Amino acid sequence: MSIATADDPAVEARGLRRTFKGGVEAVRDIDLRVERGEIFGFLGPNGAGKSTTVRMLCTLLPPTAGSAKVAGVDVVADPAEARRRIGVALQEIGLDPVQTGRELLELQCGLYGIQGSAARARAQELLELVGLTEAADRRTKTYSGGMKRRLDLASALVHSPEVLFLDEPTTGLDPASRLTIWDEVRRINAGGTSVMLTTQYLEEADQLCDRLAIIDAGRIVVEGTPGRLKAQMGHDVVSVALNGADVESTKAAIGELPGLERVVVESEALALYVEDGPASIAEIVRRLDRQRIRVGGIAVARPSLDDVFLRSTGRRLEGDEEVAA
Amino acid sequence: MTEVLLLGRRAVREVIRLPEATIPTLFIPLFFLAVNIGQVSKTFPSTTPFLHGQGYVGFQLPVSLMFAVCTATSGLALVTEIDLGYFDKLLVAPIRRSSIIFGRLAADLVRGIGVSTLVLLVALAFGATMRSGVTPNFVPFDRLSPVMEALARANPVSYVIEGLRSLVLQGWVPGKLAICVAVIVATGLGLTWLSVRAIERYDR
Ligand SMILES: Nc1ncnc2c1ncn2[C@@H]1O[C@H](COP(=O)(O)OP(=O)(O)OP(=O)(O)O)[C@@H](O)[C@H]1O
Ligand SMILES: [Mg+2]
Repeated sequence: MSIATADDPAVEARGLRRTFKGGVEAVRDIDLRVERGEIFGFLGPNGAGKSTTVRMLCTLLPPTAGSAKVAGVDVVADPAEARRRIGVALQEIGLDPVQTGRELLELQCGLYGIQGSAARARAQELLELVGLTEAADRRTKTYSGGMKRRLDLASALVHSPEVLFLDEPTTGLDPASRLTIWDEVRRINAGGTSVMLTTQYLEEADQLCDRLAIIDAGRIVVEGTPGRLKAQMGHDVVSVALNGADVESTKAAIGELPGLERVVVESEALALYVEDGPASIAEIVRRLDRQRIRVGGIAVARPSLDDVFLRSTGRRLEGDEEVAA
Repeated sequence: MTEVLLLGRRAVREVIRLPEATIPTLFIPLFFLAVNIGQVSKTFPSTTPFLHGQGYVGFQLPVSLMFAVCTATSGLALVTEIDLGYFDKLLVAPIRRSSIIFGRLAADLVRGIGVSTLVLLVALAFGATMRSGVTPNFVPFDRLSPVMEALARANPVSYVIEGLRSLVLQGWVPGKLAICVAVIVATGLGLTWLSVRAIERYDR
């Protein structure tokens, strides 16, 4: 067995597969690589196989086939070592309702070999990190959903893991709590922890993740940075509402923009296909202003991850509208 | 080892904080004591030979103690824990899985001692006297019908009760005590081994 080093990727899976009793193929031959320092998103609808993958990577579920390493440690060959290097917050929040938040964190410290005053200090530090100092000495059953999530997150961090797994960390939270969790995840990541999180939310994958993979029916259908995936979909569209302005002179005023692919004249509007919509807007406004052309409005439409999802799976992830093929 | 202590401490805390889980386990033994003191002792006055000059309370006390100790709640607590998902958190921690079982058992030990002490105190208050300083369950073996006797002799619990009963009624009787301890240790080890094996193979 080779010795795991800090150069090994955070997660590396080859041909990972899990078939449940009864023949459900939850995960089918997944290849995955999460680099050190990344926030990696695993995006997919209900039943796609996200949790099954995470449970395999966390040593909770033996793979039917394939292999996986976390922080360079094989999860099947050396689960004990793998457990020392990872932190896990599962989809179902696992809290003990009759303990207080502080007791839970101190026990968690103890299970990772941190004891006595060091455990008390670490628990306090984590309670501060997730903003639970006031509720720290109440039993966890009195916590709100968001507080439980935050405590669960804190409990995954006691031993400063190299790799953190978060299975749907924001599902069921209101938008404000979601933003709080995002901030915490970013802060944890900035401290050097690699993060792999699953989500059903396009926005979460887009805003939070450096790279992501879309999983559907147990297979990874596409993988890349959010920007790259969207860029593969085509270009941004800047539409300029003419509001009576002359088509030709407007077109001439804008002229050759950097990254301009083509211009389509629509009824009462110009559609400019550009590489970078937001960057182009400033230049378009400046040029129109110089020629003293007044237009009705300028808007950018960018391809979304939903468009990526649609092209990869033939379905939309969010909203339940049927999409004609 | 530290893991067992930590998990045990937490389980004891749970026992203390959820008295509603322990109170029903007190109810049955105390109920039996009360019934026996009230009615059955009239049927078997203390002159009855197998009572060694004591009231039926003393004869019945070990049964109550068995009830008190055997309604251990750890198994149930563990099932709840699996349901709540906290169990997964323990499984993913770098600890020996068996320590989850031993932590629970430690709490049962504490609870068992607590509940037994209470039952003993109540029995003493009702007039049982201890020969030692502490049996077929309700009557001795030879008072049972042949079929019942065969069943009772095959049931290991009988020997535990016999041993405990000898402590109450006759004082130190090494033979009966040895069998009693042997039965307890053997079943204890056997069941613990099964639990540990189950948890080590556990995955879902
Ligand atoms: N223990 C199990 N036994 C049988 N089938 C299972 C088991 N666990 C999961 N499955 C099945 O495997 C598939 C993938 O489930 P999984 O929980 O990994 O999906 P998911 O992507 O996490 O979904 P969600 O977003 O709803 O959490 C589903 O069809 C599910 O029914
Ligand atoms: Mg899931």
